[in-house]
Amino acid sequence: MKHSKRVSLGLGAIAATSALLLAGCSSDAGRDQASGSGDDLTPVKLQLQWTTQAQFAGYYAALDQGYFEDEGLDVEVITSGGDIVPQDALAAGDVDYAIAWVTKVLGSIENGANITNVAQIFERSATLQVAFADSGIETVDDLAGKTIGSWGFGNEWELYAGLNKAGITDDVSVVTQAFDMTALLSGDIDAAQAMTYNEYAQLLEAVNPDTGELYTPEDFTDIDWNEVGTAMLQDAIWADAERLDSDEDYAETTVKFLKAVVQGWVYAKENPEEAATIVTEAGSTLGESHQLWMTNEVNKLIWPSGSKIGMIDTAAWDSTVEMALATSNETGATIITEEPPATAYSNEYIEQALTELEADGVDVTGTDFTPIEVTLNEGGN
Amino acid sequence: MKGILSTSLNKVVPPVALLVVLIAIWQIATVVGEIPAFLLPSPFAIVDELVQFFPAISSATRVTGTNALIGLVAGAILGILVALVANFVRLVDSLLAPLVAAIAVVPIVALAPILYSMFGANSELSRQIIAGIAVFVPVFANTLRGLGQVLPVQRDLMRAYAASPLQVARTVTIPAALPFVFTGLRIASSLAVISALIAEYFGGPRTGIGSFITTAASGSNYSRAWAYVLGAILLGLIFYGVTLAAETFASRHRRR
Repeated sequence: MKHSKRVSLGLGAIAATSALLLAGCSSDAGRDQASGSGDDLTPVKLQLQWTTQAQFAGYYAALDQGYFEDEGLDVEVITSGGDIVPQDALAAGDVDYAIAWVTKVLGSIENGANITNVAQIFERSATLQVAFADSGIETVDDLAGKTIGSWGFGNEWELYAGLNKAGITDDVSVVTQAFDMTALLSGDIDAAQAMTYNEYAQLLEAVNPDTGELYTPEDFTDIDWNEVGTAMLQDAIWADAERLDSDEDYAETTVKFLKAVVQGWVYAKENPEEAATIVTEAGSTLGESHQLWMTNEVNKLIWPSGSKIGMIDTAAWDSTVEMALATSNETGATIITEEPPATAYSNEYIEQALTELEADGVDVTGTDFTPIEVTLNEGGN
Repeated sequence: MKGILSTSLNKVVPPVALLVVLIAIWQIATVVGEIPAFLLPSPFAIVDELVQFFPAISSATRVTGTNALIGLVAGAILGILVALVANFVRLVDSLLAPLVAAIAVVPIVALAPILYSMFGANSELSRQIIAGIAVFVPVFANTLRGLGQVLPVQRDLMRAYAASPLQVARTVTIPAALPFVFTGLRIASSLAVISALIAEYFGGPRTGIGSFITTAASGSNYSRAWAYVLGAILLGLIFYGVTLAAETFASRHRRR
């Protein structure tokens, strides 16, 4: 008697809970459909390559200044702490657009991710290999026999291209560097990887134990891959190639999205201090002076534009692809083994966006851009 | 003779058959479902990459294996010694219990960068320490439990025989503790490999399996990443197999 009563009570509880859960599920779906048709703004998800910082100032500015809203888009910006690979999230359909380096995405495209570069925002590479001025490392050839740091995770290819070019790929000892400069400052490595807009500033925000003052640029030498000739294209906006082809709404949304993004970057060019503040308020953990430095340096990568912001330069693209096919790391692996398909990039959408913006009088070339002077404080505050 | 052969075949064939079936299903699914490589690599693609990058994979496996081995040996010795001390000095045991519990839950994510800063970003020592810490906890806990397995009646008997502490240890304590020590070592062997591998994600020389998994994964080349993972799986199996063999050898007299 007691046993069967307990069993039936248990079954009843399970049935009631399941009923509630299932009811919850179905009403959620109903709500989604209702909101989709009711709202005026098209929901768009943008996946960033890293955390909230001024590297993405244009997108945050576009959000803050209402440029997305003006184009009828409700954009949700999703950050990554290295846990999400942006191009994978895009290819899997989790997001609508992703920001990612061209080199990393070329590999993904070869592995079946059908995505298209719709805007090359950063026209120049920001990667440096930094060493102390008294280390004697001036050029790539000086790296032979040294311990050099690289973050890995697909950020190391410009370095390996440089090493390949100098013929010293096997003569260096590469260390996986943490995303900071402590290894260089403590003398564990001879040359460290740094982005002009982020880690390089971390050096200048550190106190030199010999002088008690902050380090100055004269304390360091750097190898700029743009000068060596092995720079590769970095931050670009990627969209789903299949959807661009089949879904007209998505293609239209892409043009609107690009228009708003370009306006955001123009805002960042003309108002770097405000843009830095917008990013800080959006939730960045970096200090104010560091954020301003980052905004300024990122502007230098975009402006003045070789042609117009976002246009994918064929020569630069071909050069990056060529290096992606040829550069091998210490295991002999290359980024890609065959040419990318024609759908890998398209200037169609950015051209349309730029035409409409120029008709409105927006400056999309930035020929009169001058970078500002940024004073860094200790710790980036 | 024939009996032994057929029983060992009976033990080996079913798991191998299951493995083959699972891999076949996986391969068919990726082909029929046209699943792109960046979502789920097919077993054939993984084996392809394994063959192509065999020298790199084997040298990376050797590095990770060496780090795991050093960590295993050091952590095990330390774990056993500390357990012995904790067993004979009750105060040490009560002091250590919360500390060891705390060490057990510190994530490698937090520990690795600190160790790399302390011991240098270009040395393998930090990875060996992390493997050692991961090994210390289960070996310590199991050894301590094993040492406490001496029954009161056995202790009383030894007392009645006027046995010296060394004789007690040799005849009662250690034989009782030994199965537990080996259990701890078996658990620790896989942990050593995993911890040494994960520590490679956070820094150190680009030599181990972990460094190359991340490089491959960043370009969505999961076939290559999994080829390196195969190296890690093989390494883990070897470690587990060796500790299992050691356990079987040491307890061969006890099998009745």
